[in-house]
Amino acid sequence: MRLNKHLLLWSSLGSLVLLVWAAYQENALQEWRVIQTDYRGRLATGDEAGFSIQLRQVVVPSQGAADRCVSCHLGMAPGVEAISGHPLFGPHADVPHDPMELGCTSCHGGQGRATVSADAHGDVDHWPEPMLPARFASAGCGTCHTHLAIPNIDQVNRQVALLERHDCLACHRLDGRGGTFRPGGAAGMEGPDLSRVGLSGFRPDWYEDHLAEHRAAREGAWRHSFAEVPEAPRDAIEQYLRTRIGAPGLVDAKALFHSLGCRGCHSVGGVGGDDGPDLTAEGLLDPARLDFTHVPGEHTVENWLAEHFRSPAKVVPGSQMPVLGLREEQIDTLNFYLLSLRRRTSAEAEWPMDRVRAERLDEREFSTDPDTLYQTFCAACHGPDGEGMRYPGMAAFPAVGNAEFLAVASDDFLRQNIRHGRPGRRMPAWGDKEGGLRPEEIEAIIGHLRSLGGGARPAADGRPARWVDGDLDLGGSLFTRHCAGCHDKAGQGLEGPALANPNLLRSATDTYLFETIRRGRSGTSMPAFSRPSTLRPALTDAEIESLVAFLRTWEVNR
Amino acid sequence: MSQASPPALPRLVANLRALPRAFWETAFRSGRPTTDRTRSAFVFGNVFYHLHSTRVHRWSLRWPTTWGLGLITFWSFMLTVVTGILLMFYYMPYPEGAYESMKDIHFVVPTGRFVRNLHRWACNLMVVAVFLHMARVFYTAAYRKPREFNWVAGILLMALTLGLAFTGYLLPWDQLAYWAITIGANIAQSPREVTDALGVTHIFDPGGLQKLLLLGSEEVGKEALLRFYLLHIMILPLILVALLAVHFWRIRKDGGLARPDDADQRLGPPLPGTYPVFTEQPKKTYQLAAIVRGRTPQVNQGPENTLPTMPHVFYAEVGVLMFTIFICVLLAVFWDAPLKELANPQIPENPAKAPWYFLGLQELVSFSAFMGGIGIPTLSVIALALIPYLDRERDGTGLWLGGPGGVSLFWGSVAFGLAAVIGIEAFAIQFGWLRGWWPDVPQLLITSINPGTVLVLIYFLYSVWVVRRYNSTRAGAIAVFTCFLCGFIVLTIIGTYLRGPNWEFYWSQANWPVH
Repeated sequence: MRLNKHLLLWSSLGSLVLLVWAAYQENALQEWRVIQTDYRGRLATGDEAGFSIQLRQVVVPSQGAADRCVSCHLGMAPGVEAISGHPLFGPHADVPHDPMELGCTSCHGGQGRATVSADAHGDVDHWPEPMLPARFASAGCGTCHTHLAIPNIDQVNRQVALLERHDCLACHRLDGRGGTFRPGGAAGMEGPDLSRVGLSGFRPDWYEDHLAEHRAAREGAWRHSFAEVPEAPRDAIEQYLRTRIGAPGLVDAKALFHSLGCRGCHSVGGVGGDDGPDLTAEGLLDPARLDFTHVPGEHTVENWLAEHFRSPAKVVPGSQMPVLGLREEQIDTLNFYLLSLRRRTSAEAEWPMDRVRAERLDEREFSTDPDTLYQTFCAACHGPDGEGMRYPGMAAFPAVGNAEFLAVASDDFLRQNIRHGRPGRRMPAWGDKEGGLRPEEIEAIIGHLRSLGGGARPAADGRPARWVDGDLDLGGSLFTRHCAGCHDKAGQGLEGPALANPNLLRSATDTYLFETIRRGRSGTSMPAFSRPSTLRPALTDAEIESLVAFLRTWEVNR
Repeated sequence: MSQASPPALPRLVANLRALPRAFWETAFRSGRPTTDRTRSAFVFGNVFYHLHSTRVHRWSLRWPTTWGLGLITFWSFMLTVVTGILLMFYYMPYPEGAYESMKDIHFVVPTGRFVRNLHRWACNLMVVAVFLHMARVFYTAAYRKPREFNWVAGILLMALTLGLAFTGYLLPWDQLAYWAITIGANIAQSPREVTDALGVTHIFDPGGLQKLLLLGSEEVGKEALLRFYLLHIMILPLILVALLAVHFWRIRKDGGLARPDDADQRLGPPLPGTYPVFTEQPKKTYQLAAIVRGRTPQVNQGPENTLPTMPHVFYAEVGVLMFTIFICVLLAVFWDAPLKELANPQIPENPAKAPWYFLGLQELVSFSAFMGGIGIPTLSVIALALIPYLDRERDGTGLWLGGPGGVSLFWGSVAFGLAAVIGIEAFAIQFGWLRGWWPDVPQLLITSINPGTVLVLIYFLYSVWVVRRYNSTRAGAIAVFTCFLCGFIVLTIIGTYLRGPNWEFYWSQANWPVH
């Protein structure tokens, strides 16, 4: 019995000590209690009584949010006075939405139900959606929004330059810059802030209105900071203003995505190629499911993505993605955009207008001007200016902006090749596939190619599509001697393009093939065979015709 | 009315003054348990204690007799009942609410996280203790006449314990739970392996029926959650409590804990300070019924070497209770119960593992779903239940590893059991099995010949050999029980620590491929 009494005594004492410790921990040591005590200490005497130390939360049933973030971020808690400047007790930044209407986690990610900072920020095991880094905060807009008609980065930069050249920022504020003058003098009204003008819209007659004010004024900002704006820059400025939706970095990041040809291989929201993974939910990657073996630094999605941009095949073995040679700030900007790809399934009634327009009315997320279209879909392989690209470990991609190419390639040839692609090669069939390009977009790209080539286009060709009648044996031996080195014996393509490709042979006229061989392509490995080189004599027209005839033997159904 | 009685008002005052004492006396009518009579009266006058006999043999109170394992099992069950009821105030048994309510319990409910941790640890302790309790009863040969049926009741209680733990596993509705239950449900469906091989699944599908009964649907979903919840909080606990009453009742009716015939000699003289001597004849002839049935060990012996239940058993029981609480509180304060991501039917866990106490079975399931999930466990449970009916010897009852063979047989069986299971696992991991060698081998052949069935056969043959070698059924029982215990432990360890994605073998989780 003594043993049992000892067992009883020591077990009871041990349990008691542990329980007291647990109670102390729960009631005194909790992070949010310590923080709220700190806050109360900062209040003026008298205000303290109105502030009780308790868990606080923002509940938004439509978003499924019960966010206890405000238990520590007190400045944003309902009914609590913010202490501006303090990292925890400061107010929420001024944003287009009322944070109380959306909750915290809808935009920022993280674990709203948690009351411990590591768990709440999502930096723990088994929480798939860690918080977005502060510098990418507006990537959270992508939870609901799909910003439409975003042009490429060159155009954005041009538009910004126009805005500055026309001195709009003298009176207007835009993303925290400008607005130093008051157009009506010190007592006059400020120029409206343009940072969210894409949301509120602007008057269609703003220009006439400004012009009238300018003409009426004798001095001051109306006189000196405004002048007539021609129509073309005015359109560009208006397009820029329409993208000002209170998420500045995000729109620019998307513009960069539309400059690097990413959609050539990757689909976003059902539009784009399917060589690479679909990126529609890339911003919701669970860091626990990523392989960080070859990724230095913290195990975060943005670190993984960044290292992946630097060397894709190192991070994802077998990746077909080329090393794009991006600058670090470009990588950061792309990460910003990718993290914004986090569209959540929610009731359609909750969708913002841009998402309805993108998903139900099939509006484009990219601007459909020729330049943006080309850079969005083609630039990764064919180069930003159509100069072709050469990536380590991959066959060279053709220079489609080459003037000599464009001088022999008819619109129909270009159209056929964009629409049907090159089966078996990396060029997708943009006109045939789901998520591809619309006919008018293909026409726009053809037009853009012409402009890249300085307007070069073939002279009217009176001859039929098939007119060559050459010596096949001669053609075969010439091919083996002069062409097979780059185009492969069987025409499957090595350094040069695959010539035994059904779509190429179907869309290419004899004139196209003949002239391409004759004139070559400057700036590429393809020489002009009508001129002699140190290795071989010039080919005669008859010999070139024989070559064309030989190529035609690979055409399956002539 | 008596003339002598004082006026009512002073009487009221006097009654009020006497209230605490009177209340105490009415609650505990027998008075303070200081004499043998009052001690006995305390026991049979108390609803919570009347299942005990009033005196208990000193042998039963020795720690090595039981190591308190049955009590630990019972107390940890009570702890899960209490914490479980508390959790029920906040838990919402439907998929949209379950995970969120777990998060709320963890982060917001006062002491919620602690209570949930306690529930989890008490459950695990209960599972461990029920296994150890069974091993104790086996190794002290306490299952023998007249306790055969109570052994069977204990087997059922063990099955119910596992059922309770398993049904609770789904309730958090996280990835861990979801995929563990998916595995469990597939195990329930495993008779299909046989019916498919025979080509009769379309007319006779007990596996599919079992899974459907368990989940209420083809997939783990809201029906399954509700089912598991109901089983977990009501049906299984009620059955378990009823069976527990039988189990405890039979301990008393079977004459207390088993002890060797020469227990009195082994014990030696009683320690000073105990209450070894009957000082009064009990007034009640409460043992008459037992005498008539001729079962109680009191019949042909004096009440020597017995101690009053109050306070000896009382201290033992309360001491074990506090010890159980201490262990659970210690674990609950420092180690949180797991909670992974929200259940997602689109993203299978790889490896998806059942709760740890089923990982030995899952290891066998990886060889043959039917044999591992249904065949071998059913056989094992039946074999366990039959032990007291097949071993009817008397030698060594109540003693650890008493009887023929004894300690050396035990260690020999441990060595053999471990060698066999490790050997066959190593072979299967290194060289694969029939399907790897001859891809077209019929499934029925694999169902009947796989590492699991081969292991069972080896253990069986070994035990038959031991029965002959020692000329004792008890020796055979020790051999087969020890072998199965070793097999269970080794398979559980392999399933828990050494199996990775796609149930491949890995020495350490650090070697698991990512993705």
